Amino acid sequence: MDGGGSDRSQTPSYDSDVPEPGAGGTVILAPTDSYADLTQGWQGSLHEIRRPRHSSGTISEITNRSKPELAGEKQEREKDGELKDKLNELQVTDDEDLSLTSSDETTASKEDEKEGGQTAAVSSGPSASGLTVIESDSEENVQTEAWRSQRKHIFVLSEAGKPIYSRYGKEDKLVTIMGVMQALVSFLQDGNDSLRCLVAGKHKFVFLNRENLNLVAVAKTEDSYHQLLFQLTYVYNQIISVLTYTQLNKIFKQRRNYDLRRLLTGSEKFIDNLLHLMDHEPSFLLGAVRCLPLPSSTRENIAQSIVQNANVKDLVFAILLANNQLITLVRMKKYFLHPSDLHLIINLVNASESFKAAESWTPICLPKFDASGFLHAYVSYLDPGCQTCLLLLTVDRDMFFTLSECRQKIVDRLNRYNCLTAITEALARTSYSISQVGIADLRHFMYKSKSTAQYTSPELDAPYTTKEEQERLFGLYLYLHHRIHSSARPLKILFHVGANETLLGWMTSGFELYTVFGPLVTKTQAITSINKLLKWIKREEDRLFILNAPTF
Amino acid sequence: MSGSRVDMKIVLLGKEFGGKTSLVERFLHDRFHGEAPYQATIGAAFGAKRIEVVGKSLILGIWDTAGSERYEAMSRIYYRGAKAAIVCYDMTDSESFARVCFWVKELRNNEENCKIYLCGTKKDLVDENKNNRKVDYHMVTDYADEIRAKVFETSAKTGENIRNLFLKIAEDYTMDPVNKQQQEKDTLNLQEPTKKKRCC
Ligand SMILES: Nc1nc2c(ncn2[C@@H]2O[C@H](COP(=O)(O)OP(=O)(O)O)[C@@H](O)[C@H]2O)c(=O)[nH]1
Ligand SMILES: [Mg+2]
Repeated sequence: MDGGGSDRSQTPSYDSDVPEPGAGGTVILAPTDSYADLTQGWQGSLHEIRRPRHSSGTISEITNRSKPELAGEKQEREKDGELKDKLNELQVTDDEDLSLTSSDETTASKEDEKEGGQTAAVSSGPSASGLTVIESDSEENVQTEAWRSQRKHIFVLSEAGKPIYSRYGKEDKLVTIMGVMQALVSFLQDGNDSLRCLVAGKHKFVFLNRENLNLVAVAKTEDSYHQLLFQLTYVYNQIISVLTYTQLNKIFKQRRNYDLRRLLTGSEKFIDNLLHLMDHEPSFLLGAVRCLPLPSSTRENIAQSIVQNANVKDLVFAILLANNQLITLVRMKKYFLHPSDLHLIINLVNASESFKAAESWTPICLPKFDASGFLHAYVSYLDPGCQTCLLLLTVDRDMFFTLSECRQKIVDRLNRYNCLTAITEALARTSYSISQVGIADLRHFMYKSKSTAQYTSPELDAPYTTKEEQERLFGLYLYLHHRIHSSARPLKILFHVGANETLLGWMTSGFELYTVFGPLVTKTQAITSINKLLKWIKREEDRLFILNAPTF
Repeated sequence: MSGSRVDMKIVLLGKEFGGKTSLVERFLHDRFHGEAPYQATIGAAFGAKRIEVVGKSLILGIWDTAGSERYEAMSRIYYRGAKAAIVCYDMTDSESFARVCFWVKELRNNEENCKIYLCGTKKDLVDENKNNRKVDYHMVTDYADEIRAKVFETSAKTGENIRNLFLKIAEDYTMDPVNKQQQEKDTLNLQEPTKKKRCC
């Protein structure tokens, strides 16, 4: 039973003159809708900081493909048969080289050497070579089985069809698959209506064609077409984040056939990690970040420590993170950090153990902030346990030592006010359990304040304690999110009775609320409950959200 | 340790997975994490250590770079102003030596005051089994003579030769007349601000 929200008496209401829970007086992150269009034109913020007089401030005029339309989902009938044939080829997973493009010898030999090196290390005996062949052969078969059973594959190819990334399996071992992907991509591009999604059996194929790169998702998950497209956009942005758009473009303008893997060596793990996070953390889906719950006075104190001690020229953002949660963010007046850029930063920290060993200084491109250039990030953990990570982002590449001194002063002040201890304690406590909210039959929820791009959600309590149940819950949210955002018929409210639970989603101009109830709840009860829930969030907002956005 | 107090900047260059981070870890903290999964350096990591050499005390500021190709265009950020570069190659990986030549050229073109030290890593693996050696010692020394560099073969696992390497670097630095003058100048500069009136 789905309710479209037409029945007025059963529609919850929220006074739109009152700021939504979690909305502070000042904005900390660039506000978003869930589908904050990741493909929007890029502003040249770096350019502006360096040359503030240029009012336009756009570095390069980047012609973007238009936003994917729903029309993309329709398939042309006469193409259907041919497509099925192409898809059937996908079932063939032997390693025979289709050679759609001339194979790059340098990488091939590079890979061989790597492989050779590993094999040599394992088997040094003279009789071992025969064995190795068999081993690697069977390993491949196993890999194929495991490979096929993966629920969400992601591939990245260059426009010339060179494999760049595959989520599972080594991309150069998947020549056939990559060949088929490329054939599909170019086949689809031939039609004037560039087709972006097709369904074959349980699998959804979603294509994102960007300048220089083609990205493909093949999934048998709950994710909708738009959600997969959104994830592909994140993967694209992750690649931009390590290379910049400018560099990527330059490389392929010079050599269409360039093997981009050479430049991405070592950053595959960022894409892997990003994909993992997107399958588990609602923040990506919601286009929002989660804040570490802290008393507002503590958070204020932490922000002050940064504002007072890192007030140096050309510092654009100071970010304090712990366990993928935001503690505080201080920004240069006039500049905002987009949540999707912050997600890439969170991913960088989450995927890099090496920051724990020493202070680091690394270039990073934030695609939403400025895809054309690098910012320079000073990265350092502040506590001996390496939980609280400070990032200072600047446009000045020579600022490392200045920022290193700022860090020391920040740490000194944080210690003076026992803030680091407070953070450690907040991390040790679980955030909050649904029982604290005290609403009967409410099992879980996600609440996003749109204007601040922050969300809150309780811990996963029973029945969502096993991995399977947690994945199922995530699937429910994907479904609810998809239905509410369906571009054909976007809904304000959705009441859905499922086999094991009842879902209620509610969108207003200020917030998005996704709730999961027990199966027996009625619509009226659910609506009463979410009104209570909103009151609870409002009461707790000081602790759960960053309400004040400090600036330098 | 604050960077403004660093006396000498040293940069480590060389192919990713070549053993740079392990070498620095051994020198700074006298430890080696052999079992831990490989952790690629992101951008570059900074560390500092005080060292006593020929009766002088020096603070070395060490930049451990990532070595991956995508950072190459930006590597100047890390080696600019370095007095010494430790260009590493993995003794068990012939390809890593090819990268050495790239870095040497890069340094010669951009940073003429930077002394170059060629450093073979993972010597323990070669000692364990001679067949593991993929970079010939004499080939390296011939090349080193050509570019007027010194060669060290080291192991972060056993610690072999690592302290020697840094001692030699520090010693060369202090003995170099150019740096002696510079140091005197620096001391003068340092004294100046103290002459300024202080408010308390
Ligand atoms: N046996 C041995 N292994 C080493 C030695 N130095 C580094 N390694 C290993 O080689 C790999 C790469 O080392 P790392 O220092 O991270 O290389 P980097 O990328 O150049 O910084 C790691 O798995 C280390 O454990 C060494 O002296 N002996
Ligand atoms: Mg390293």
